[in-house]
Amino acid sequence: MDLILPYLATLVVFFFIYNIFTWGLNIQFGYAGVLDFTFITFVACGAYFAGVFALGPGSQQNGFEWILGLNLPFPIALLAGALAAGVLGILIGLIAINRLRSDYMAIVTLATGTVIYGLVSNFTPLFDGFDGLAGLSPPFAQALGLNSNQFTYLWVVVSGVVMVICWFIAQRILTSPLGRTMRAIREDQDAAETFGKDTIRVRLIAMSMGAVLAGVGGALLMGFIGAFSPAGWTSGETFVVWAALIVGGRGNNWGAVVGSFVVAVLINEATRYIPPVTADPTLIPTVRNMLIGATLILVLWVRPQGIIPETRRRFFQLPLRPGSPPVQEAESARG
Amino acid sequence: MPAAEAILTVSHVSHSFGGFRAVDDCSFEIAAGSISALIGPNGAGKSTLVGLIGGAMRTQTGSIHFAGRNISRMSAFKVARLGLLRTYQVSREFAGLTVMENLLVPPPNQRGESLFNALFRPSLGRVQDRELADRAFEVLETFGLLALRDEYAGNLSGGEKRLLELARAVMAEPKFMLLDEPMAGINPALIARLDGHIRRLRDDHGITFLLVEHNLDVVERICDRVVVMAFGRTLAEGQMSELRENPEVVRAYLGGGLDERAAG
Repeated sequence: MDLILPYLATLVVFFFIYNIFTWGLNIQFGYAGVLDFTFITFVACGAYFAGVFALGPGSQQNGFEWILGLNLPFPIALLAGALAAGVLGILIGLIAINRLRSDYMAIVTLATGTVIYGLVSNFTPLFDGFDGLAGLSPPFAQALGLNSNQFTYLWVVVSGVVMVICWFIAQRILTSPLGRTMRAIREDQDAAETFGKDTIRVRLIAMSMGAVLAGVGGALLMGFIGAFSPAGWTSGETFVVWAALIVGGRGNNWGAVVGSFVVAVLINEATRYIPPVTADPTLIPTVRNMLIGATLILVLWVRPQGIIPETRRRFFQLPLRPGSPPVQEAESARG
Repeated sequence: MPAAEAILTVSHVSHSFGGFRAVDDCSFEIAAGSISALIGPNGAGKSTLVGLIGGAMRTQTGSIHFAGRNISRMSAFKVARLGLLRTYQVSREFAGLTVMENLLVPPPNQRGESLFNALFRPSLGRVQDRELADRAFEVLETFGLLALRDEYAGNLSGGEKRLLELARAVMAEPKFMLLDEPMAGINPALIARLDGHIRRLRDDHGITFLLVEHNLDVVERICDRVVVMAFGRTLAEGQMSELRENPEVVRAYLGGGLDERAAG
């Protein structure tokens, strides 16, 4: 029991954080059709900035160096991480969205992410290069006098609360006229443009809001683990979030939850605690990636719209103009 | 036809793709409140001109004015916001949205489209959506699409998609509609319905129409004025009945067609 409960709590934290990621990608791709192939860069941005806001100053003497080091409380660090990711979303969006579409846009996001990855892992004064940030003491733990297991339970609550806020953000955008315009742009950008929609602006909003959610999740990850380095955000991680969204159902935030549970938690995280096979330590990670790929292919074969696809919005219930009779099933125009 | 004010003025517009001059010093005016047509043989430069007017491409030389504003270098969404709405040769419905949602996208100045309102004041968007949905119900009723309101637009038949394009355009409340081959690939019964709708929209809503159209019978039936283009420039203007007698027009465009029709 002493082992199982913290293990399950850890999985729950990852589940909550991956939900936030998948909703973020859903805003970008599921709503607005923005092909963001560097999603993990926004996660990293959130984690790094939350880190340098919460950590003390790094010093070259100790062999740690990073910018800022402000020693601020974790909630402020989380907001800073979210904001930084949102700004990075706009910057990468300006490069990728402004003049490019679909596959070209996707390639540019991937390329920009690779440039940032190279920069961050080699330019040590920024976030200590390939060693990354480390040494963040568990937020709130000291003040509340928690041991490490109790901290894990606390983080279930913290990430749960943050997740609920993110759910409202994602749902409110989806159900608003803004979300409808995003989906229209996803379906046909030119046609949306001819109705006076500033499609670049709307897609930048989607890119940026998705990045904000990525940054929030990254900050939660930073707070939970206490360290973050380039080994944790290789481009393969972007693929896990993509797989989760496509398996679960793009355009539907409940689908995103299912996808993040199946792909990110059951396959990607739960298997991390299986003891490595001594004969071949890379066996389990390899099988894990194969499983994710196979799940993705299976879903695309038998249910390409995802496990819970985008819901069809019906307007039967809307109050019509006063005095008009309730709408009946009118005769088909196909007659 | 009383001399009405020009709502759209195309003056000395030229546009080249590489070395090829698709539009070559083309000029004409469209009177406000008219239903006009732009005709010409394939390759005359009509589609390029539609792209230039709609803002899909920037005009290289010459100028295009709409409702007193120079729109030659304006981007498409800004042109649209002035009230000029173009359609495409192929139906461009939002396939993954329902018919009803397709009609709720176009209306301008939607309060719920701002991120702040979407996040913090969602009721603003909902209230306005209800008003827009009421209007959309009426529009769907007049176009005979009400029964299909909750169907995905991508599942509609070709003809229904054409009607949806027009219904959707009405929701945008434009001053001017530029229809690129609205009758292409549509059966004769539906053509009659579509041209009825066009005339009704002009009469009831005061919308000016410019149709790029190959079906000359439709053009003759509903258009007040016709502009003929050939080799990138304006060849002639006038009523369809006059143009059929114009030897230059007949040679450039109608010739074979008219003879065959007379012979057949």
